[in-house]
Amino acid sequence: MARQPPLSRAARRRMTAPGLLCERARTTPEGVAFRSKHLGIYRERSWLDYATLVARCAKAFAGLGLKPGDRVAIMGDACEEWAVCDQAAQALGAIVYGIYPTASTPEIEYQMKDGGAVIFVAENQEHVDRILPLLDRLPGLAWIVVIDDAAMFAYDHPKLRPYQALIDEQTGNLAWLDHQARLLDPNAPAFIVYTSGTTGHPKGALISHGRHLAATLSLVECYPTLANRPHRTVVYLPLCHVLGRDVAVTLPLISAVVPHYGEDVEDFTTTLFEIAPTVLFTVPRYMQKFAAQILVGLGNSSPLKRAVYGAALRLARRYVCGRWENKVSFPIMALQGLAHATVFRPILNKIGFDALELVICGGAPLPAETMALWHMYGVNLVEIYGQTEAAGGIITGQRGPFPRPGDVGTAPPGWDVRLAEDGEVLVRGADLFEGYWANDEATRGVMHEDGWMRTGDIGEWRDGALRLVDRARDFIVTSGGKTLSPSFIENQLRASPYVAEAMVVGHGRKYLAALIEIDFDTVSDWARSRNVSYTGFTSLADNAQVTALIRAEIDRINAQLARVEQIKAFRIIPKALDPEEEGEPVTPTRKVKRAQMQARFSSLVDAMYDDEEERLVSDEIGGVLKAS
Amino acid sequence: MSKSLPRASGYFRTSYADELPLVQTTLQRLSLKAVLLALLVFPFFATSFQLDLACQVFLAAIGALSLMLLTGYAGQVSLGHAGLIAAGAFTAGILAKELNAPFWVTIPAAAVVGALLGVVFGLPSLRLRGLYLAVSTLALHFVVVYLGGEYETKRGYSTGIVVDPPKLGGFELIDGRLWYFVMLAFAVGTLLICLNLLRGRTGRAWRAIHSHETVAEALGIGIAGYKLLAFVVSSALTAVAGALFAYYRGFVSVEAFSLFLSIQYVAMVIIGGMGSLLGAILGAVFVTLFPYAIENGMRLLPGAEKLAGAVFAVNYAAFGLVMVLFLVFEPQGLVGIWKRLQSYFVLWPFKHRPLASGRR
Repeated sequence: MARQPPLSRAARRRMTAPGLLCERARTTPEGVAFRSKHLGIYRERSWLDYATLVARCAKAFAGLGLKPGDRVAIMGDACEEWAVCDQAAQALGAIVYGIYPTASTPEIEYQMKDGGAVIFVAENQEHVDRILPLLDRLPGLAWIVVIDDAAMFAYDHPKLRPYQALIDEQTGNLAWLDHQARLLDPNAPAFIVYTSGTTGHPKGALISHGRHLAATLSLVECYPTLANRPHRTVVYLPLCHVLGRDVAVTLPLISAVVPHYGEDVEDFTTTLFEIAPTVLFTVPRYMQKFAAQILVGLGNSSPLKRAVYGAALRLARRYVCGRWENKVSFPIMALQGLAHATVFRPILNKIGFDALELVICGGAPLPAETMALWHMYGVNLVEIYGQTEAAGGIITGQRGPFPRPGDVGTAPPGWDVRLAEDGEVLVRGADLFEGYWANDEATRGVMHEDGWMRTGDIGEWRDGALRLVDRARDFIVTSGGKTLSPSFIENQLRASPYVAEAMVVGHGRKYLAALIEIDFDTVSDWARSRNVSYTGFTSLADNAQVTALIRAEIDRINAQLARVEQIKAFRIIPKALDPEEEGEPVTPTRKVKRAQMQARFSSLVDAMYDDEEERLVSDEIGGVLKAS
Repeated sequence: MSKSLPRASGYFRTSYADELPLVQTTLQRLSLKAVLLALLVFPFFATSFQLDLACQVFLAAIGALSLMLLTGYAGQVSLGHAGLIAAGAFTAGILAKELNAPFWVTIPAAAVVGALLGVVFGLPSLRLRGLYLAVSTLALHFVVVYLGGEYETKRGYSTGIVVDPPKLGGFELIDGRLWYFVMLAFAVGTLLICLNLLRGRTGRAWRAIHSHETVAEALGIGIAGYKLLAFVVSSALTAVAGALFAYYRGFVSVEAFSLFLSIQYVAMVIIGGMGSLLGAILGAVFVTLFPYAIENGMRLLPGAEKLAGAVFAVNYAAFGLVMVLFLVFEPQGLVGIWKRLQSYFVLWPFKHRPLASGRR
């Protein structure tokens, strides 16, 4: 693949993604744009194929009456058709927004009404079933385009159109697409990304063509390898998330990253294994999950293998401490090379991580423990801090390689980051979002007149790098008057392989307590290996031995915490959090909605405090009763 | 998914043609090269006795591979394997003796005769299953041995037919090292034929028939045709092994093709591990070398001279015992042991594949 000409931000700001697509299709028509697995084979799509598909899809959309400024909603997992529909709608000047495949029905209705889409692209029959009951309340929705119509034989709604048939009857080509792309105004809005909405309804951040390209370039500026060398990556993050869009749609246009789509997002562990990506964009949850699976797998391994791993790990601890300081003595380096070849590389190979040159993790705070573990395994994991409102760019990012965990790095050139008096992180740059869709009040709430944007995150500077403390509104003030950051403690809890999600409570209470969602995969593995019988999630969550396991994990974490930060009580929630269910206290990206979570499990929360009081009392008097 | 995941990460297929290569990962390629190199270098360091053992192993491997196709994959029991070997040997012997036919005529002729016999004795398989089929294939053995015996007595070779060493490109094949390479080439050729049959439509049909005939038929597989094909291919390959045997020994006699030989081939398939070509090869190695190992073992015992007379009896008894032990304790055969050994290293440092249930 040809090297990208180093174009500046200003130049990118005058471009559009469909325009760039046409340019790639002209300059490197045979170059691989992406690979997508279909019936067991990774189909290679060249830039020319990609542009032709987009052209035909755009013509089809135009045939359905899509006009500039109209909105198109796409709901589904990451797949090549998602990207094609997105570029096609953008090419016509329409505004695209994605709906999380895990969104609940009220959320779909809200976003459909708020965005006002005229075309709804559904990935498959499942998503059609979600939208059809809402049709009466969505008068503006004209068409439903179904990408995979395999299960659609019994449907004959007049608004339904199969994607493949629409495309097949069109004869769009590169020249036509090029013409369309030239009509686009780079300053016009291109797409909306709905924020996850941990409080209240999600807000739609409106982002323009040129600013998105320029903002995303900040990733390439921070990590030049993305453009300097051909890279394989795997697409599995939802494309309605701004990071997912960057990886699947935008970065391929401005760097040398080739995205790979799996047969199904659910099979993405297989996709990772087969592709062995060289760069990976991820969110902390996946890195924690992979680490947990590895740790549990090693725990169940034979004593000899465990002993070898243990020895390698002890060495890696010494190595990684030196690595963070950029001071590694030669013998340690040589030994680490040996450990890597014999232990860590085989581990990474099992999950397709052994070719990774760079892992970029964003979207939520990454526990420092998780990051350190991956560094010990030899994976160059860096943390970035971005926001939807940053238009696809990053606010700060650790440059690495192998940066010391605990901060989120420094701002890329061209961005100003400062802290307000109360510690809130403020950003200023030329490439931010345009404002919230149909919500000027919210826009005014975050955008200052002088160009500074409020992020709502509290940060601090440490050795020149930004460290995030917490969301501004999430601080807990205990009845003792101590102000504590729950996310710091929650991250420590989440670093345990057995904890999927944790929420620390204690606002106005005497001490901190935690609601724990166990990780079903690892805890059930643990239970099986110890002959603990269970029937499902709830019985596992109820089990006394599982409670003891979690207690041991919490005790271990408490030992590293200050006294006021320690978790004095905990409860395991009886069911797994499922964002697809209505009224669940998690967002589609599995961020916990704190207020709802607390309301939902209020009895558990209250019990943690009541029970504790009783226990304290009984401890006090216990001796007396026995004595008498 | 048509093909299982590769052993190591990073091997993805961009076209269906990519599914064809037999070796995929770098490690597999290197191991294959190492094995091939070892096989090529071996004769230059081996004694003539070791060369003879290697040739016997290769011969047995050809027979075991073809029986594995029939029994291990297509699921058709055959006890007539020794008969087919005899048929191949006699075809080569008679043609060489009577018509002075060269090597390159007798070997294909043996294959043709084997194929014809395969059709004849495959026919009962269309009606018979299991034990009944086994008994009907047993008939093949006796018919061929009877015909061979008749030929020997009628022509006056009552002790057997002497076959002259074959001529290859002008010089005679008598050197052990040369024989080694000829046998190796035939064994590798047979392995490749088997591999190719098994990964194609034929192999899938055979496996389907083995699993469940009715279901296979419902899937549109012509049961009769594929069953006969299994017999024909297996018999033709076996007969070639028989012809090679005739040339290698330089002598053909019915005594060599006792029922015990059939049992030995069945043993190779079972001890090696049903349904695996590697199993057939391991089984061939094991069964061929076993008697020599027993003999050597007995020599180490105190008072070895006195035991010399009992070697045969001990051999038979030990062989039977090993069969029973394998059936009871290692039904997967040698290949089961090999797979466990392999996964110990392939899964290193895990015990089971991680992320088996790796969802979100």
